[in-house]
Amino acid sequence: MKRQDQLLEFVNRKGFRKGWSAFIIAFFLLFVVLPTVFVVTYAITDWDAISITVLSNPKTMAIIWDAIAVSFAIAVIVTVIDFFAGLPVAWMLVRKDFRGKELLDTLIDMPLAVPTAALGFSAAIFWVVDPSPVPLSLSIISSPFILIVLLHVVFSYPYMVRSLAAILEEIDETYETAGRTLGASRLTAARTITLPLFRAGLATGVILCFSRSMSETGGTLIALSTMSSLGIVAADSFATGPTLIADWRTLSFTDPSYTPALAFVSILLIILSLVLLVVLKLLIMKFHLPLRRVWPMPEKMLSRGIFPKLKDGSALFFLAMIVLVPSFFIFTYVLFATPQAAEWDSFIFALGYSFLLAGIVTIIDIALGIPFALYISKHREKRSSHVLDVLVNVPLIVPTAALGISLTLFWSNIGSLSGLEFFILVLAHVAFTYPLVVRNVAGAVEEIDPSYEETARTLGANPMQSFRRVLYPLVKGSILAGAIMAFTRSLGETGATQAILGNNAPTAPVFIVALVQSDAFFQAGLACIILIIVSYVFMLMLRYITRKRKEVI
Amino acid sequence: MPEVELRGIVKRFGKVTASRDIDLKIADGEYVTILGPSGCGKTTLIRMIAGIIEPSEGKVLIGGRDMEGVPIEERDIGYVFQNIALFPHLNALGNVSYGPVVRNKDRKEVEEIPRRYLELVKLLDRMKMFPSELSGGEQQKVSLARALASGAKILLLDEPLSALDARVRMDLRYELRRITKDLGLTVVHVTHDQEEAMTVSDRIVLMRNGRIVETNTPEMLYLEPKDLFTANFVGETNLLEGVVKEVLEDRSLVELRDGTVVEARPSKFKSGDAVVLSIRPERVHPASEGLGAVIRCITFMGTYIRISVETDSEDRVNFDVSTSEDRDYNIGDRVDLIWSKRSGILYPRPPEGVQEAIKLE
Repeated sequence: MKRQDQLLEFVNRKGFRKGWSAFIIAFFLLFVVLPTVFVVTYAITDWDAISITVLSNPKTMAIIWDAIAVSFAIAVIVTVIDFFAGLPVAWMLVRKDFRGKELLDTLIDMPLAVPTAALGFSAAIFWVVDPSPVPLSLSIISSPFILIVLLHVVFSYPYMVRSLAAILEEIDETYETAGRTLGASRLTAARTITLPLFRAGLATGVILCFSRSMSETGGTLIALSTMSSLGIVAADSFATGPTLIADWRTLSFTDPSYTPALAFVSILLIILSLVLLVVLKLLIMKFHLPLRRVWPMPEKMLSRGIFPKLKDGSALFFLAMIVLVPSFFIFTYVLFATPQAAEWDSFIFALGYSFLLAGIVTIIDIALGIPFALYISKHREKRSSHVLDVLVNVPLIVPTAALGISLTLFWSNIGSLSGLEFFILVLAHVAFTYPLVVRNVAGAVEEIDPSYEETARTLGANPMQSFRRVLYPLVKGSILAGAIMAFTRSLGETGATQAILGNNAPTAPVFIVALVQSDAFFQAGLACIILIIVSYVFMLMLRYITRKRKEVI
Repeated sequence: MPEVELRGIVKRFGKVTASRDIDLKIADGEYVTILGPSGCGKTTLIRMIAGIIEPSEGKVLIGGRDMEGVPIEERDIGYVFQNIALFPHLNALGNVSYGPVVRNKDRKEVEEIPRRYLELVKLLDRMKMFPSELSGGEQQKVSLARALASGAKILLLDEPLSALDARVRMDLRYELRRITKDLGLTVVHVTHDQEEAMTVSDRIVLMRNGRIVETNTPEMLYLEPKDLFTANFVGETNLLEGVVKEVLEDRSLVELRDGTVVEARPSKFKSGDAVVLSIRPERVHPASEGLGAVIRCITFMGTYIRISVETDSEDRVNFDVSTSEDRDYNIGDRVDLIWSKRSGILYPRPPEGVQEAIKLE
């Protein structure tokens, strides 16, 4: 007991707290931000290499520009689709009461728990034209572009719905009711009152979807590779920015002359993503939708009768057909496919490896992310805190494949990588999952009235006690949410992992990519299912454990 | 004609019944206040008139027309919200113009109507301000102008003053009545503040537990409350428990717990009935003989002094004396209290007990 008191006193000392804050910030800058953008320095130190092998080679340049243009086009289309398909569902979740609402609420999150590698495979099998189609599959898509758009919609859609619902929750329903008492029909009121109030919050959803689509590697690779195995030649030459990095990275293991091109693509992607982040933010804040005009009669007509039902119905149909069925179609596939023998030993090893990695990463995120989140939300008045707040978003925006290249360059600059693969992977995964925990926790802490903690302090609690007894119970849910996001993100990640260790990286998603690329579809399908089930069981367990705890307190 | 009628309204939210058996008729141009403690179902009632929620049973009629299935925007009502709910992205003018715009008025009217109503609430000079730049009172005035500008003939006010400072609240009360009377509107005003209800209404509907307790003019509700709950909730009163000794032509005689016999109005009780005697503090006076009591608490209130005593019959009684009175009162002093027989009103003693009967939920 006494030792604990001494420890507490030590921890509460001002000097210690200052040092601790400095350590937390230094960790963030050195291990999260710096490695993420380190590749940019390559442009300075090795500009000659880039200019000789890349800039003066029109063929390479054409490939790069194509890939990046495709990435952008896909991200834009996906974001727009997500918005229009997600808005009615978000609206239903927040503003309506109906039977099965909880089910809908759960269904929306389901694709998030499926690693993108599994999603890519599942969606490709469902959509792509197949000479001998799997029963129940649609088998209608032969354009790689459309396939990738459909795939990206699947995993970015939940983010859009979630962030739209979160803003909608914040907007007082009274405004809309007030509009209606003034004579506006449901649609007019929603369009002229609620939508304009959305604007600031809309940025979050748009940026999340956009950057998720820009950055996705594993699922895209698998979908394209499945497509080309099914005999669609266009898929062979089709590449997005991240898949281009993945391809070239594989080649660069044997042919180092690819390194400058790799670095160049990564730099481009990082810079473009960051510029885009700023532009999008400004655009959404400044852009005035033409929402002031009204068309009372047509809008009145659209507000009642069959139209609202049609709108909700088609939004739900979209959710089912475009998002949910393709996500889980893999189960049908495995059911109908001819079984083949598989190397289970290596898959189980990969699975264990992935879980260990994700577990360690999540622990680091929580241990170092919570203090950081507390720091930025408690020092809002300081400029430095604002800068840190913006910097936290950087790894979220940067495509993970580019981040992987950046990290590899960073660490190989410091020393040899061999033997330290696991360690490097942990650092890489921390870089892109850390912001998820920080964002969630900081958001929750800012919501909480500081007077609770102040009250605890006036009642004699020291800062540690007031955190543990007052703040922690209130933000526990958000910590859990952040942890689950970080864990699943790490578990399903392909881009950065592959960029660091190539196709031989021993994680489960990369293992699945390799299986698909060697046409071992059945094994890949089974591996996906196992990955999905294990992820689900794990998440349910986590939820169960934390829920039980709550009851005890 | 914009009269409002509620017929047999019942509203249930799951297992909770928020309104039961509500029958109410509000005449054209009448200012009616629905008064009651928080949670009594008064807001539910006007939300049903507005069409924000539908009743579980019964009918809402506006101008004689059944409102079932008629959406909010076609009920021709103006609604002023407790939380004011000015659209934060529009300035004052934009807010007030919203009604005319969405009702598809022609250009000239969209220009003119909002200015007219902003003028009416004396805020024309602040029309370019955004809600966040206006004070609470100004915001509520803009929201009133907004409701009026949409052309409504029926105005529903949902605790419109409760978010405002005491002083602003007072001023706005009179404004509300003046403006709505000038325009000849039918008003349903919801409040939990009995003083506010008294000062603005033509008629007060007192509610409790989802039911209407009593409906009457402010004067009658105060002077002749028909119910023990009304007597206690509207204004202040002292309640003394006793037994009827005798009922005479011009008064009733009630025997209190200590055997003291006091007077009240003539009534229909028979001797031996258990009753509660209600007597307002301003009607109780100190005298040389009467109901004996000991002073327990003295509070200086400015224009008068509130004295709280414990009577020999073990009842708590408050009474007021003028600040200018010569006599000196001290805690522990004995006083004798009297009142005129016309001031005491008798109610049957409720079987659930007096405290239960006047409880606010």
